[in-house]
Amino acid sequence: MYIPFFEKHVPSDVIAAWVSVIIIGIVLATYVIKQNKWSVIWEYMRTTHHRKVGTLYMIFGFLFFLRAGVDALLIRSQLALPQNEFWLFQFQKYNEVFTTHGTMMIFFAATPMLLGLMNVAVPLQIGARDLAFPFLNAVGFWLFFAGGMLFNLAFFFDSAPAIGWTGYAPLSTSLFTPDVNSDYYVFGVQISGLGTIFTALNIIVTIFRHRAPGMKLMRMPLFTWASLITSFLILVAFTVLAIGLYLLMFDRMFDTKFFNGPDGDPIFWQHLFWIFGHPEVYILALPAFGLFSDIITTFSKKRIFGYPAMVISIGTIAFLAFTVWVHHMFTVGLGPLVNTVFALTTMAIAVPTGVKVFNWLFTMRGGVLRMTTPMLFSLGFIPSFVMGGVTGVMLSVSAADFQFHDSHFVVAHFHYVILASTILGIFAGIYYYFPKITGYQLNEKLGKWHFWLFLIGYHLTFFPMHITGMNGMPRRTFTYDVGEGLTATNFISTIGAFLMGIGVAVMFYNLFITIRKKERVGSDPWDGRTLEWTVASPAPEDSFQPMPIVKEMDPYWYAKQRGEDLETTDEKLASPISRDSIIPFIMANLLAVLSFGLMYGWIWLAVLAGAGVFMCFIIRAFRDEREQYYGKGEDGHESV
Amino acid sequence: MNQYEAALFNDKKFGFLIYLFVEAIMFLTLFATYLIFTPSSEGPHPSDVFETKSVILSSIFLLSSSGTLIMSERGLEGKQLKKLIPWLGVTLLFALVFLGLEISEFYTYVQEGYTLSTSSFLSSYYVLVGLHAAHVAFGCGWMIVLFIQLKRHIPHSLYIEKYKIFSYYWHFVDIVWIGILLVVYVRYIF
Repeated sequence: MYIPFFEKHVPSDVIAAWVSVIIIGIVLATYVIKQNKWSVIWEYMRTTHHRKVGTLYMIFGFLFFLRAGVDALLIRSQLALPQNEFWLFQFQKYNEVFTTHGTMMIFFAATPMLLGLMNVAVPLQIGARDLAFPFLNAVGFWLFFAGGMLFNLAFFFDSAPAIGWTGYAPLSTSLFTPDVNSDYYVFGVQISGLGTIFTALNIIVTIFRHRAPGMKLMRMPLFTWASLITSFLILVAFTVLAIGLYLLMFDRMFDTKFFNGPDGDPIFWQHLFWIFGHPEVYILALPAFGLFSDIITTFSKKRIFGYPAMVISIGTIAFLAFTVWVHHMFTVGLGPLVNTVFALTTMAIAVPTGVKVFNWLFTMRGGVLRMTTPMLFSLGFIPSFVMGGVTGVMLSVSAADFQFHDSHFVVAHFHYVILASTILGIFAGIYYYFPKITGYQLNEKLGKWHFWLFLIGYHLTFFPMHITGMNGMPRRTFTYDVGEGLTATNFISTIGAFLMGIGVAVMFYNLFITIRKKERVGSDPWDGRTLEWTVASPAPEDSFQPMPIVKEMDPYWYAKQRGEDLETTDEKLASPISRDSIIPFIMANLLAVLSFGLMYGWIWLAVLAGAGVFMCFIIRAFRDEREQYYGKGEDGHESV
Repeated sequence: MNQYEAALFNDKKFGFLIYLFVEAIMFLTLFATYLIFTPSSEGPHPSDVFETKSVILSSIFLLSSSGTLIMSERGLEGKQLKKLIPWLGVTLLFALVFLGLEISEFYTYVQEGYTLSTSSFLSSYYVLVGLHAAHVAFGCGWMIVLFIQLKRHIPHSLYIEKYKIFSYYWHFVDIVWIGILLVVYVRYIF
């Protein structure tokens, strides 16, 4: 039996990680024991309630975000000076660090935090009492958790993958990376991706079938709209990724011939990956767009400008998302005709995006603006995102792309768009929905510090990268030479990265003191417009009792304007049945154990874990939460 | 099934439909993979590999299992277990025969030296058809669970729900098999 870890030389950063994890673990354990928090942990392990599952998504998404952020700081420290030898982050280690940075940020930080916000806000925004399938919701979360943990474990066994977040074949096949490193990527992403698909499915059914009476599709808040369309994107994109990873797994484990060998085709991996990868960009951006729309209307005290145009543009962006994947492959050699077609479809994306930007600006025009932290993040987003969009149009010119390709210019571009939309959107969302999640409101002054440090750091980091890239610095390289004229720009970038880090630290401190102070706020701290602000903070488990009747967009706001309460109905709608269960937790983690067994060739472990997963299916079938509610005749459901 | 249960059942139907949509995309991607890699420039040609007899036999058993399931479903509404149980049993039997035929088919191919790693054509063949076979195997387990649920006397409306969801799954698996017949086998056998 091959025991990972003890057979090879252990680098100092891995030792540092083990030591810090053990120390943090002991501190946490003493805290839990002293404060007697076991019941809380047990409750959250078994919960199926949408707010609690959403909270878990946020917590673990944020933890993974911190880890990926530390990776980013390590990257920037190594690149700060020419011929730098910072700690041990050169050569292979550098490849591992940028791989984990990219993979973690996309799959284990940005996506789950957005799913967390959807989980918290979407049912409340439409007047639903929970997601349509509470059990499945918990399964989705724990799958993400298990996948993320598995991926993170790689680092502790000094086996972090080093194939880039795109996992390009043939590098990712066993021909070039025979060790378990790349397996961690394949299995970690696969398991969490499965969870993402389930959550998306759940959100679609919830939005279509559990809206409050009168909440027509065209009366829904834009965040809900964005979540709906994003969920459709997830269904298609993550499924294609799942099959790509499935094929890659077969290549690695069973020596099939998809991506290497005389007939194998590495370009096929690129197609599969980018049919997923490009829509993924919009999976990250669209919910953020929705959040900004809701936040800007709330803090402008105005209805959103051009609501139908906003909805149509979300739909158009989603459709175009699937027509542009080849723009990641302009230099692969698919020919001028293919490149031209995809250049045009790529440029077309600028149109609906432009519509959205102008609608946000027109929403603010003539409004009563309140400069709260969520609003500041939304305002910071608009110009930053437009800058990223402009470089995107530059990159879509396929002829010019041969110059920009794989340089820091590309790095600058995608960080400009993804950070500006997703990460600023998540921050805005956290500040905005924090009262609904915890019942407390984050400190505004610290929030503003967070915003300014982060925004300035962001531009300081990524703006110089345009210049670095144009001056010829390729991405994914760990160093450059003294006389190349890259030193000053790189050094500025590094300063910016640390400013962002300080910004996030301020936010962390903010979370810490806010939770510590325990100052409750009411149900409507922001003077909101939509249904989520009518329920108590934090959102209770039996919300919307009795059901509000919706007669217009922003119903709560207009009711407040008229000085009346929302009209309600006693009509009983069929609401999802939720019952706490530990099965989702066990099932998802057994899948991680199964992957572990496969990776290290411990077939007995894989078989045991696989049997365990099927046992969970069967136990679940025999302990269906519907059993106690069914078969009681017509009026047996008063208490649901 | 009262209104409340019907509404929840509609949720479940809608959700499962979306799930089948996801599965459909999965299989479509694998079909595309098969089309890209078949026939491969090296290794055996598909017409050398496939055996007409086992393909036809297994198709007969799997496709008629959809019919026997419909027969069984007729016993569902009136709780006519005399109709439901035997026909569901036949469905399970047919599925098991199909699985046996698949296993022997794969076994013969491997004996002849056509393995998973022989060529990209065979890789994509085994991955696609194998995933479908895994679906059939999962369906067999599901049917056994349905039998046990009958013993447990759960509320009939809940049993209808569980049964119907399974039947959507089973018909879907059959439709995928028709796709496999057309895309994988027919072009090289006849």
